[in-house]
Amino acid sequence: MIQSILDAISLGGLYALAALGLGLVFGVMRLVNFAHGELITIAAYMLVVTVNLPLIISLLLTVLVTAAVAFLMELTIYRRLRGVNPAIMLIASFGLSTVLQRVYELIFGALPKSAVVAPFLNGAFKFAGLSITISSVITIVLTVVILLAMGYLVEKTSLGLQLRAAAADFRTARLLGVRSNRLISAAFVLSGVLATCVAFILVVENPEVNPYYGVNITILALVGIVIGGISSLRGAALGGFVVGVILSALNTLLGNGRVYAYSWLFLLVLIILLVRPGGFLSKGSELERV
Amino acid sequence: MPLLEVTDLIAGYGRVEVISKISFSIEAGKSVGIVGPNGVGKSTLLQAIAGGISPSGGSIKLDGVDIKGKKPEDIVRLGLSLVPEGRQIFSGLSVKENLALGLTGRKDKKGSVEAILKMKELFPVLSTHENHQAGMLSGGQQQQLAIARALISEPKVLLLDEPSLGLAPTVIDDVFDRLKQIIALGTAVVIVEQRANLVTTFAEETLVIRDGHVQSRLTPADAANLASLEKSYFGAGE
Amino acid sequence: MKHGGYTKFSLQNLLGPLALLTVATYFLNGASTSLQLITQFALCYFVMVLALQVFVGNSGVLSFGHGSFALLGSYVSGMLTAPVHIKGHALALNQLWSFLVPLQVNIYVAMALSALISGAVAALTGILLMRLNGLAAGIATFALLGVTYNIFFNNKQIGPGSQALPAVPTITNTYILLLIAALSLVCVYFFNISRIGRTILATREDAMAAPALGVSIFKVRLIAFSISGVLAGLAGSMYVHVAGTFQVQDYYLDFTFMTLSMLIVGGSASIWGALVGTVLITGVGQILLMMEQNLPVFGLHITIPLGSRAVIIAVTFVAMLLWRSSGITNGREFSLDFLKKLSKKN
Repeated sequence: MIQSILDAISLGGLYALAALGLGLVFGVMRLVNFAHGELITIAAYMLVVTVNLPLIISLLLTVLVTAAVAFLMELTIYRRLRGVNPAIMLIASFGLSTVLQRVYELIFGALPKSAVVAPFLNGAFKFAGLSITISSVITIVLTVVILLAMGYLVEKTSLGLQLRAAAADFRTARLLGVRSNRLISAAFVLSGVLATCVAFILVVENPEVNPYYGVNITILALVGIVIGGISSLRGAALGGFVVGVILSALNTLLGNGRVYAYSWLFLLVLIILLVRPGGFLSKGSELERV
Repeated sequence: MPLLEVTDLIAGYGRVEVISKISFSIEAGKSVGIVGPNGVGKSTLLQAIAGGISPSGGSIKLDGVDIKGKKPEDIVRLGLSLVPEGRQIFSGLSVKENLALGLTGRKDKKGSVEAILKMKELFPVLSTHENHQAGMLSGGQQQQLAIARALISEPKVLLLDEPSLGLAPTVIDDVFDRLKQIIALGTAVVIVEQRANLVTTFAEETLVIRDGHVQSRLTPADAANLASLEKSYFGAGE
Repeated sequence: MKHGGYTKFSLQNLLGPLALLTVATYFLNGASTSLQLITQFALCYFVMVLALQVFVGNSGVLSFGHGSFALLGSYVSGMLTAPVHIKGHALALNQLWSFLVPLQVNIYVAMALSALISGAVAALTGILLMRLNGLAAGIATFALLGVTYNIFFNNKQIGPGSQALPAVPTITNTYILLLIAALSLVCVYFFNISRIGRTILATREDAMAAPALGVSIFKVRLIAFSISGVLAGLAGSMYVHVAGTFQVQDYYLDFTFMTLSMLIVGGSASIWGALVGTVLITGVGQILLMMEQNLPVFGLHITIPLGSRAVIIAVTFVAMLLWRSSGITNGREFSLDFLKKLSKKN
């Protein structure tokens, strides 16, 4: 029971991080970046490929590469699409996601690459007579630390203030002097950093990295930001968390029916979109203006 | 030399030309009004000057520097701020945060603290509400916040798009009193207004815009017989 | 209207795409056995892209959900025509509900039924989905695809689950498929120039256009969505009778992305665009495949590394969006005007 609750919380935290990465980029350019999943994938590949290096160096390299991919994807693709119909941007990100999957397949092969990353996180310990996995505890701790750091960045720093202002009204933010290119680049780089965190947690539990590694979690994080309200970062993170917890709960409660957990989740999304198009945390139907 | 010099400016949205060949200039410590019926391109003119949209022809010189086609975030750093139509304050952010955003448009970060203090002095109401959500302020207070936020970057030229919109008459007077103070400090102010008499009495020169170009230029002396003028300028087709 | 669009009946707008469709089918079909199969699949894709054109192209509202209707059409058609002894004995179908086993109809009746059923499901889901706009609509339709896929992939009582339903009878005569595609094209054309069709296209440019014309935007979109559901169901049904097997995975993300790419590369606001996109992506894909296999293309031997085909197609698609987001045809219908312009220049 305790293990199930811990699993639910750690899964929720993981999805919250992924949703936050999507939410950051959506905030500044109204783009649902489907290719966020491919940032998670490249980070996972990097962690596996550099497994023989000391963990800290491997992590640094991964963050650098992932942030660079995020930065370049904005510079070469999304920057040129700024201001076009959001539907076209969504399709473009879908396309970019496919491009990257195929490129990974060319570079790393279609078969999974695997390596044991951070082996000390695997295993379990006894607590009050119960066996608890180390990774679930570490995931929770790590998530809390990252969420706190992000919270500080967004709420207390000048960059965070600009991100929030740009998410609310980019035009006016620019009139006040917010540098659009720099801010959007910063949002992408941050989303790359978050993707690295997500990849690290994922890889510890499932080291079989294939070209589609990040797709699933991205779809679920997307569900999360829709549920939580896409236009606020807090909503996005909370929505991601809720999805993780619901999915975990469905998996426990549905028993043999757990294969249909996604259906229930998507059904929930449909209902929420119909009742509150801006997410359950929103005051109005904020998605309408998108 | 005028502080802001707009010559034969052409701008619009997509292929639709909204303003054609508008020229005017303004010097430090002076004010210019812009009036005209709805939809003649007054807001488009201000957006084109501030960089919100890219003009397709003409020139805009700010203190001798050509700013035509530059990005809004660069133009504000060169010393021109716009208070957009409908104020556009960030209602979800606090008053303090709204003011802090104004700081991003400063050329250098020195004097930031003083600039905020100065605004709080000029607009005491902002100081009392600084930790409140900006959306909770009254219309007049929001307008003051929008002006203060634009002034924090210490612009040489301030553009205002319909500052009286949605405000009670006494509040409008209050806002225009503040503007007088700002002009006295040496800022050049351009005011777009729907209420012609208000701005004609206030500004040294007022441009009447019709169908995208300047139809005539008024002085405060014209304000007295504005009623008859209004008929001829706005009458037909309204 | 920015995208050219339809105003009234014009013979060249209708005959242009019909001619290209027929000529392309005729030449490719005769070229080789493998090209014949490619042509048959391309005709299925074209009907699917037409389905997307009716809704996505005309309304400007994105749908990731049409794969559901194609899946459903394919499933209904496959289930109603696969031999009884296969349904009763295939290992993949050992949990199938017994009442599904004896069902058996003629292949064309099955096609009609699958189109109707998909259309009905589209109409029902549309009642809910058509209330949404923009991004919300995109994500909601994605959720619809997710639910459909998830159910069909896992439920072995209604179908083969993640496995394949084998021995579905095939249509080997390409011209029957061509006829279906051509009829679909004509229907879509007349719908697009109808009053309702023009209203929907007007709402693409300006959401206030429909209310201004005294029509509810919800109603016109629902009509377009239902019609596109019928066509998507038909496309799925055609596909299953070309492939000879029903498999859920065929109608998921890759299928969705491929057909949407075809529409957008060609130009989503016109039938001509839908056709050009389908022909182009099929053609380029085939040429690249031949290059991967080191086969001569138009007498030239150009070899590209195995696997690079998919990269090139996806990169081309993204580049296309950057270069011209309204597609190669710019969303215009076929017209001979460009010939006049050319002759003037010379």
